Amino acid sequence: MKRPPVLMHIRIQAERRAIGLWLPLFLLLPLALVVFIILSPLILVATIVLWPSGWGKRALLTLRASVDIFCSMRGLCINVHSGRQSVSVSVV
Amino acid sequence: MSDNKKKILEMLAKNKISADDAFRLLSAIDGGEGRRESTGRAATAVKDKAKYLRVTVLPNPESERSGNYDRVNIRVPMSLIRAGIKLTSLIPSEARDKVNLALHEKGIDFDARNMKPEDIEELIGSLSDLEVDVVSKTGESVRVFVE
Repeated sequence: MKRPPVLMHIRIQAERRAIGLWLPLFLLLPLALVVFIILSPLILVATIVLWPSGWGKRALLTLRASVDIFCSMRGLCINVHSGRQSVSVSVV
Repeated sequence: MSDNKKKILEMLAKNKISADDAFRLLSAIDGGEGRRESTGRAATAVKDKAKYLRVTVLPNPESERSGNYDRVNIRVPMSLIRAGIKLTSLIPSEARDKVNLALHEKGIDFDARNMKPEDIEELIGSLSDLEVDVVSKTGESVRVFVE
């Protein structure tokens, strides 16, 4: 199991103004877990209803793949600088 | 002992094949297994080694000094690429057919349905050899590499 990212840093600079934002992703995880637990009966019903058409399995696999992608984001770094503007996103 | 080796020895015991044939077949199986093992080891080594795909666009020194320049620095974890490729298996068949058709029109005969986990590892492994280095007339350089 991969360790999920802890923080996301977004920095946007335009001319003389700059905005820096640290997003605590580790705080989102317990929140996402609570939402998942609350919605789990609904997810279960939807999966059972959609299972014969093949979309139920696909929905479950998509959920798993989304978690996998989220956990794989650790180390992602995007830094774009154009003229006097720059955008920087990094996931720690 | 693998099933194939057992079958060969059984055929030899029943005199269905000669000792030479059995030796040749066993050698072929051993060679194949050895190759598979070494490919697997190489893929694991690459998996451990290559961690990020980097894309950098660097300006020429003159425009950098003037302050009016474009610079791009992207670092994508290999695990994210791996997870993204695996996500292609979840594309609905109708959409996938459209994608395949569009790729075919561009002269690329590629079907994501045929991608197996070992193919993904091989593809990621092959990326470690990738290095693109382009320098434009204006002095800007674009580099794509794996680190």
